[in-house]
Amino acid sequence: MGGKASILIILGFSAIFLVVGQNFNNLSVNSVDNFSKYYGKTVAHNIAVSGANMAASQIFFSNEWSTGFSNVPFSGGMLTTVVEVIDSFQNIKKLTTYSRYTGYNEVYLDTVSVTFQPSKFSRFAYYSAYEPSNIWWTTGDTVWGPMHVQGQLWVNASPVFFGKVTTENGLYTQGYYQTVEVGGHWETTWVKKKGKWVQEAIWVPEYQQVWVSTANPKFYGGYEQGVDLDLPVNGVSNVQTAALAGGRTFSSKDTVYLTFAQDSLRYRFSKNKKDTTVLGATFAPNGVIMANNSVLRVKGKVKGQYTIGVSGTSSKGKVFIDDDLIYNSDPRQNPNSQDLLGMVAQNDIMITDNTANNNNINIHASMYSQEGGFGSENYSTRPPSGSINLLGGIIQSTRRAVGTFSGSYINHGFSKKYRYDDRLMVASPPSFPGTGSFEIVSWYE
Amino acid sequence: MGFSTLIDILGSTIIGGILFMILLRMNDAAVQNTYNNGGEYIIQQNLVEVVQLLEYDFRKIGYCKVWSRIPNPSKAIILADSTSIKFLTDIDNNGYVDTLHYYLGPSGELSATPNPNDRLLYRVINSESAIGANLGVTQFRLTYFNSLGNTINFPIIVPGEIHTMQIDLKVENTSGYNREYSGAFWRQIRLAARNLMNR
Repeated sequence: MGGKASILIILGFSAIFLVVGQNFNNLSVNSVDNFSKYYGKTVAHNIAVSGANMAASQIFFSNEWSTGFSNVPFSGGMLTTVVEVIDSFQNIKKLTTYSRYTGYNEVYLDTVSVTFQPSKFSRFAYYSAYEPSNIWWTTGDTVWGPMHVQGQLWVNASPVFFGKVTTENGLYTQGYYQTVEVGGHWETTWVKKKGKWVQEAIWVPEYQQVWVSTANPKFYGGYEQGVDLDLPVNGVSNVQTAALAGGRTFSSKDTVYLTFAQDSLRYRFSKNKKDTTVLGATFAPNGVIMANNSVLRVKGKVKGQYTIGVSGTSSKGKVFIDDDLIYNSDPRQNPNSQDLLGMVAQNDIMITDNTANNNNINIHASMYSQEGGFGSENYSTRPPSGSINLLGGIIQSTRRAVGTFSGSYINHGFSKKYRYDDRLMVASPPSFPGTGSFEIVSWYE
Repeated sequence: MGFSTLIDILGSTIIGGILFMILLRMNDAAVQNTYNNGGEYIIQQNLVEVVQLLEYDFRKIGYCKVWSRIPNPSKAIILADSTSIKFLTDIDNNGYVDTLHYYLGPSGELSATPNPNDRLLYRVINSESAIGANLGVTQFRLTYFNSLGNTINFPIIVPGEIHTMQIDLKVENTSGYNREYSGAFWRQIRLAARNLMNR
């Protein structure tokens, strides 16, 4: 009787333990399986992202790269990348990376797609190939769009950058060196105590000079260094080519006076001659107007999309802005405005020292100066002329002055009110110089 | 039936009682362990589900299939707080810009559950009404860093300054045996939404 009861009890307990144990085993297996799946998905995703990065790198090194990758072993899995041109007119490319990772009893797949477009200089609110070391970006300076500086960006105090900032060699910030203790070591030395020489351990500190930055730049659109983006040598000549292929070219003229009058264009070659008036759309169908080996003097109200260029060396190859040069429809009031102007000069782009410009000047354009910069004529002797109200961007080789100041008082020339034209993030004036490389416009993962 | 029989019955009763007590205790322990382990498995599942959803959505901050509709992705984050974030994205990859709002509901909202700390994590697309599932989230904390790697203090006035973010997430059982709530914690140290840095 007792023996049977014992056996029944033991069998009962064993059954309970088996059920409970099985349950625990299942839970453990499922828990591990749960995280194993997450791990597998994460690895597959990382492989796809890595493949996209590797392919993007190839495209940056060689614009024509379209080989892709086929079943490349990577991090325990495989990746395949396909590069395709999805818009041959705008040369927009898309790369798609497919990853495959075999986990425990399961295969994980993932896809990352990246879209590229040719990058234009017009998308910059500010670009400078050379930043003089005596000009600091400081409190009160604000840039509203993307910005690039070849070399170092000299930063003092707290300038504000609302667009993405890229530099070739990082920041040079104002600050000071401070001596700080960075560690040390114990040394044994002989010291005399109560007439006896004894060994004693002493701490020998080690010091280092550390640079303490006092600058606090505000990068509200991101910051990246190590980006080498020089001005191309063929920026102006490419505009020349475009002007010959469906635009308009002025040659053998010392000076070209060009006035935008909404749908019309007026031009002359001498200050006191009469203007010739033409319809802009038929005069330069592709919107590119070039003055070869000349000086270009411009003003007026732009309707439509144009790029005006000027080539030449020494005193030629310059643009002078003789009066307001504005859009017919201001994109700040009308976001659907299609008016867009690019100015491309071999040398400087200057605000003319004349009566019309002595009380503010309004400029709507993206300005590109291949070997000079944007400035004002006679900036140190001209009368105080109000402010430069710029809507667009400045792409220049070297920074030029627009006035002289004593504190907030303008002694000569202009103060600056520069705003970025947000449309330049997605649109560019016709045949505006490109950077020669692609930029990522969309990343899907 | 003499004295020894009485001793036998008494001894058997005591031994039987002890065995019965052991059985009851074992039953209780088995129930507790089953409950706790089952609960842990559920919270791990919940954690992985929430994490995968967060990663999927946050990686698409500033993304739009028709990229020109978000020309400047650095402006894609509209609102950023320690327990909420609202941003522009293209959640269904159809080329139309959506807003996605994540935020943590108040702790008093789930007073019906035994766990006093669980809260609803809301995920609201565009202007849809807020719907949350109780997955036992007890902590959802976001920390933001600028492009120099420094922590951005709250309140964040210009969300465009955000370069990367840290996500802390803790999930607990909504009810626990003896009010002991097991939990699981996940931290994404530096989540960089790729589109924020595109241009």
